[in-house]
Amino acid sequence: MNLFIDTHLDDVIILLYDGETIVKQKILKDQKENSKVIMPTIKKILNKEIPESIIIVNGPGSFTGVRLGVTIAKTLAYTLKRPIRTLTSLECMAICVEKVEKIVAFSDKNGYYIGIFDKDCHLVGNYEYLNNSQFEEYANNYEVITNVELDYKKIIEFALLKEELRPHEVNPIYVKKLDIEK
Amino acid sequence: MKDVYILSVETSCDETSIAIVKNGSEVVALTILTQMDTHANFGGVVPEIASRMHAENITMVLEDTLNKAGMQVSDVDAIAVTYSPGLLGSLLVGVEFAKVLSYVYDKPLIKVNHLVGHIYASKIDNKMEFPVLALVISGGHTELIKMTGDYEFEKLGETEDDAIGEAFDKVARVIGLPYPGGPNIEKLAREGKPTYKLPKPVLDNTYNFSYSGLKSSVINLVNNERQRGNEIKKEDLACSFQTTAVEELTRKLELALKNTGIKNVIIAGGVSANKYLRGQIQELCDKYDAKLNLPEFIYCTDNAAMIGAAAYPLYLKGEFADLDLNAKSTSSIC
Repeated sequence: MNLFIDTHLDDVIILLYDGETIVKQKILKDQKENSKVIMPTIKKILNKEIPESIIIVNGPGSFTGVRLGVTIAKTLAYTLKRPIRTLTSLECMAICVEKVEKIVAFSDKNGYYIGIFDKDCHLVGNYEYLNNSQFEEYANNYEVITNVELDYKKIIEFALLKEELRPHEVNPIYVKKLDIEK
Repeated sequence: MKDVYILSVETSCDETSIAIVKNGSEVVALTILTQMDTHANFGGVVPEIASRMHAENITMVLEDTLNKAGMQVSDVDAIAVTYSPGLLGSLLVGVEFAKVLSYVYDKPLIKVNHLVGHIYASKIDNKMEFPVLALVISGGHTELIKMTGDYEFEKLGETEDDAIGEAFDKVARVIGLPYPGGPNIEKLAREGKPTYKLPKPVLDNTYNFSYSGLKSSVINLVNNERQRGNEIKKEDLACSFQTTAVEELTRKLELALKNTGIKNVIIAGGVSANKYLRGQIQELCDKYDAKLNLPEFIYCTDNAAMIGAAAYPLYLKGEFADLDLNAKSTSSIC
């Protein structure tokens, strides 16, 4: 079984994939205090089973949401001595879009996280964060996909082809700059 | 009785720390990874950066602690973690991390209040004798607590405005000392004399403290002198401020020693690392024939060993937390 964890937004998504299908899943919408629910949900889903590997969506998104998911995932991988792989929230979207080249984006309250992907779903350049007016201008010039139906089986299968990482080196990506860094 | 080993986690501010503590008083291993140099670039702790660094480093800090102890997580009896008070984002990293350890190794989870942790720092390599007066002094707290037993707290008094550590940091900034302000004031004060006249804080008969008046008078003094084009003798001003700030503590502690007749004193919290303050309180305790219990310097500032010490009585009582434990930015001892 492979454990998939995504907490990059207010939803808490925990899935178990057996190599062919998603055998168990819990999707909790709009969690305001996701610290209260992530670990209890993982416990319930795993039901004492030790996963073969761990997949974590390591951002970008809510700073705290991403950080909690990553902390839990890397600690699970480290203590259980299991392989861990990361994929980004924008990769998850890009994987589920049937197009050769695509620009995908999703919004938080002040702007949009955006990424450009090639035919193999590899990122072209860097992720960026655009404020709402920058994004509007951008979207006038390029086709940006913001509404994607996520296919978790496809996402997990894509992630499993990625490189295994050492738990110590698994970290969130934040993309958006802090005021103090500007 | 069987020995009890607790693995404890502390991430409430800018130190990522993990310890293994035996029977609540013997430190088997302790790792403290401080972020002080990073935050010094910004003139103070940046909460988001603190949280990020905890998440980056926490599994490595665990590995270091386990290597030092020559133990596995499976060897310990419980996992303890600071859940409050502190920076919420930072606390959350420690709390989630501790929950995973508790879950994977099927060990009870113990939630510990950071301030109680500071008090129990004095139990490390030591015995705590009750009743005891505990003076909790840090960047966020200034409280005088009476303890009649383990986890039996009665608040006698607290600050009405700023915490003592906060006043040290602000005064340091005004006289141009780098972060962290408290230790730098102490260093500079050693070269100075208390020549500046500063107002004494609350001269009442409660056990409450006040530091905002003292802080403001230092700021005003600096501004006035600058306007007049006079140079400030920084070392003398640091010394004057420190002397007055500590006097406020000793006066209230003396009142409590007199009124309660208690013969045991603990000083806890980051500011208790101040050597001048330790000296003054020692003198006062000698005068009242009271025993002062001073934690070693390393256990005064934020560290996980004190969390392991504070978790031990909770372990014995069987007070355990569940996996839905949440962090809280504010809370008091009692």
